[in-house]
Amino acid sequence: MSRNNILTILSIIFIFLFIWYGSHHFNPYVMKIWEEVGIFLMLGASYNLINGVAGQFSLEPNGFVAIGAYVAAILTLTPAQKGAMFIITPMVPWLQNLHMSFFPALIIAGLVTAFVGFLLGFPVFRVRGDYLAIVTLGFGLTIRVVANNTISITNGALGLKGIANYTNIWWCWGWAVFAMVVIMRIVNSEFGRAMKAIRDDEDAAIAMGINTFWIKMIAFVVAAFFEGVGGGLLAHLITVISPTMFTFFLTFQLLIIIVVGGLGSMTGTALATLLVIWGSELLRVVEQPMNILGLHIPGIPGMRMVVFALLLIIIMIFAREGIMGQKEFSWDKLFNLFKKNKVAQK
Amino acid sequence: MKRFLHILAVAVVSFMFLSSSSFAKEVKVGVVWPMTGLVAAFGQSAWKGAKVAQSMEPKAKDGSNIHLILLDNKGMKVQTANAVSKLITEDHVKAVIGAITSSNTMAGAPIAERNKTPMLTSSATNPLVTKGKKYVSRVCFIDPFQGLVAAKYVWNTLHAKTAAVMIERDQDYSVGLAHAFIKAYKKLGGKIVSTNFFQSTDQDYSAQISTIKSKNPQVIYMPSYYQEISLFARQARQYGLNQVIMAGDGAEAEALLKIGGKAVNGVTFTTHFDPHAAATPLAKKFLKLYYKKYKGQPDAMAALGADAYFVLVHAINEAGGHKATPQKINYYIRHTKDFKGVTGVITIDPKTGNAIKSAVVRKVENGKFVYVTTVNP
Repeated sequence: MSRNNILTILSIIFIFLFIWYGSHHFNPYVMKIWEEVGIFLMLGASYNLINGVAGQFSLEPNGFVAIGAYVAAILTLTPAQKGAMFIITPMVPWLQNLHMSFFPALIIAGLVTAFVGFLLGFPVFRVRGDYLAIVTLGFGLTIRVVANNTISITNGALGLKGIANYTNIWWCWGWAVFAMVVIMRIVNSEFGRAMKAIRDDEDAAIAMGINTFWIKMIAFVVAAFFEGVGGGLLAHLITVISPTMFTFFLTFQLLIIIVVGGLGSMTGTALATLLVIWGSELLRVVEQPMNILGLHIPGIPGMRMVVFALLLIIIMIFAREGIMGQKEFSWDKLFNLFKKNKVAQK
Repeated sequence: MKRFLHILAVAVVSFMFLSSSSFAKEVKVGVVWPMTGLVAAFGQSAWKGAKVAQSMEPKAKDGSNIHLILLDNKGMKVQTANAVSKLITEDHVKAVIGAITSSNTMAGAPIAERNKTPMLTSSATNPLVTKGKKYVSRVCFIDPFQGLVAAKYVWNTLHAKTAAVMIERDQDYSVGLAHAFIKAYKKLGGKIVSTNFFQSTDQDYSAQISTIKSKNPQVIYMPSYYQEISLFARQARQYGLNQVIMAGDGAEAEALLKIGGKAVNGVTFTTHFDPHAAATPLAKKFLKLYYKKYKGQPDAMAALGADAYFVLVHAINEAGGHKATPQKINYYIRHTKDFKGVTGVITIDPKTGNAIKSAVVRKVENGKFVYVTTVNP
């Protein structure tokens, strides 16, 4: 085993040790935000696979996350709960009697979403660039309309309530690390190189003999799987889902994460997830009433959004391609950095 | 000079000590309301009401200050869960007031439940909000009651035997309330001749209007928000549809009168509160102070926000001020009995956490909201 692999495994162990320490010593609020970071890290990384690595400007995540959330929630809710909740139209009987534990529900949520992604891939990859963005945006909107209108499956606008709170820090980070590893392996494989070729110049990639359609499809289906699982995790974290939760705003938040982190850089996505999720929580301070040197400043609601927007603008001015650009963190570079320093000292 | 400085220093230090010791006795209460986002108007209104209420009763009985910590949830579920979690586990509040909408309240409720901290909502009317919960209560009535009041009014006062329903398909509020109305109205013997659906951002209602016109109902029940109701009313009147439009508390906003103009005359709705019918001494004092501070009448959200505050402070007093445990406060919230609040007399059912209280029917007359009647449970 090479030095780099050992270091990577050690750092993953370190992450889990940190979580173990945190779950005993941090307060539940802090842990809740870390759970959210885990879920958004997975969503961001999978979205970055389509947008950043394969270069397909797609706006579909809210649709995929919604499918995953609904499938997982329907599977884990008990028949009695569903009976009490569907007050307008009773649920379709075969769905109402379905009931299973959390893990298979998540896997099925991922698979169903991946299958929808597979079907969706056929029409949407007939177009490129801005047109792709419009088509996938339409898909996200359609999912919401479907969720509002198939009342006997989704309970319409009333949404699903009382979902068991299964999601904990281990589920979130277990999936996040797993997704990260899988996606990094894809990026560094033959498929990943083909995806990057498509991103840089699709016509040239076709000329080199890459079957661009299937390569894009792989990116899309893998991303759909993890977004579906992420939706399932989110549903069991918040315990209430309704169509309003999956608006374009969710996609927009993920888009901020991958653009700020750097399109195509997974480590950038990780940094940006931390910045976006923790940033919006830590900046609550600026909305509280403050006493500075006897001067009383009343709390201004919405102030944190202003500060956060300024922060994003500053980042985008000084780092045009996001925090990491297209680069990744690598152990080699880190060691080279130390070596150079040593040389300089001598 | 030196001596003077010494005395000054001692004075300053002792003053600081005194002031800090008076600050130490406080009861922290968390507030989670949407101050930004799509439903910000409701949250801001409620916050205005709660602030006026706080100025009326800033201290608990034992002299400790009530310290309100407001966190914005942007009207979103994830943010609500985070905010409730922060308030309870980091700021160690004794109780949480919030959130405005039912679905947001339900996102925060499991956290309050797990930490055994009371959560008191001012305006979440969905029956599921408190179902099976020990620590979630509310100071407003629930949808089935509001639907029943509307059905009774339509049946007994308007003597209407047939009704058409307009449902805003993507709003849980509208779907839930319409369902409650239909159930109650059918039970009374009424007939629903046409059920129509529309979406939040719809501008054109001609399809629904022509369906309703062909069925010729005596009343149109449209539990929706002011924007949709005023647009619908304008178009319905143009097409010669002159039936009474009955609505829920979502209709209550000055904007209804502005957008609707003459077309909304006669629009009748059930709501929580009418400033002209406010009977309790607390309500009168509240209205006076509210007018002094904001130069206007409080709407239902503000009145309910104030009531959430008053009911909570009352419970804190009963539980023993700053020494009270959250569990004890919760006990007294749930045992609120005949509390004369701003929106009427409030009794909270210890078993369900739902408030048992009267509803008000108001209607639009000559471009103004007027009081019609009060319906007791």
